Amino acid sequence: MTLPRSERGPTAERVSRSVELDAAPGEVWDALTEDALLAEWLADEVEIEAEPGGEIVCRYAGGEERRGEVELVEEAERLAWSWRRDGCAPSRVELILDAVAERTRLTVIETASVRAAGPLLLAGTWSAPLARLRAAVRLVLA
Amino acid sequence: MPQLLPQPSGPAGDAEAGAVFAALADPTRRHLVAVLGAGGGATATGLAAELPISRQAVAKHLATLGRAGLVTQSRRGRESLFQLDPRPLADAAEWLTTVGAEWDSRLSDLQRLLDAKRP
Repeated sequence: MTLPRSERGPTAERVSRSVELDAAPGEVWDALTEDALLAEWLADEVEIEAEPGGEIVCRYAGGEERRGEVELVEEAERLAWSWRRDGCAPSRVELILDAVAERTRLTVIETASVRAAGPLLLAGTWSAPLARLRAAVRLVLA
Repeated sequence: MPQLLPQPSGPAGDAEAGAVFAALADPTRRHLVAVLGAGGGATATGLAAELPISRQAVAKHLATLGRAGLVTQSRRGRESLFQLDPRPLADAAEWLTTVGAEWDSRLSDLQRLLDAKRP
């Protein structure tokens, strides 16, 4: 597959975040693996088969869809999937749960794929859906 | 002279794993990027004249930068002209910023969800 140079993705880029949640690892795990709970924070609609090789589908209010495959499932400890935005290079998401007293430290690492087969991002794809998502979640939890 | 760099029309697969950040991990290559960025383009001979290393060593570093997509090569007379292409850097920075912001937003929503579920 031949792409113009400008569409080559850079490679091995990595984003990592860590947050301490006021919930036990089991509760956090439910929020990571149940469709209805995932729809409260990951995307507007989520379908996940939480087993290796299972499918994950995220749908956003703006009509965007992100599909991927679950790669790793260790209950209440680790979950990983690969997904891709339409027309973009795939990336891998890994979620790691650590029990801290009664709470849970959740670490997320997203890594762009090594040999990018497309642009990492299509400009402006996500800002509008994300703003709508945040607004929707605020309404749900209000 | 053998072709040092893939041409711009070459296949996408010639960009190597981790190439952008790996290419910039070396101080000599960072210096080359700075020189090329300031000067608009240079030959390997011209670059070697500005640095305390051989033309051959310069050519090797330019090839690494080329595989990362950071440097392009074109003919000028009998020599090759090397130019900086900053787009891979901009792409990498944009990805880090956007994906980081996505997770900040999602994790704060997750935090709110779990807080709301508490008795």
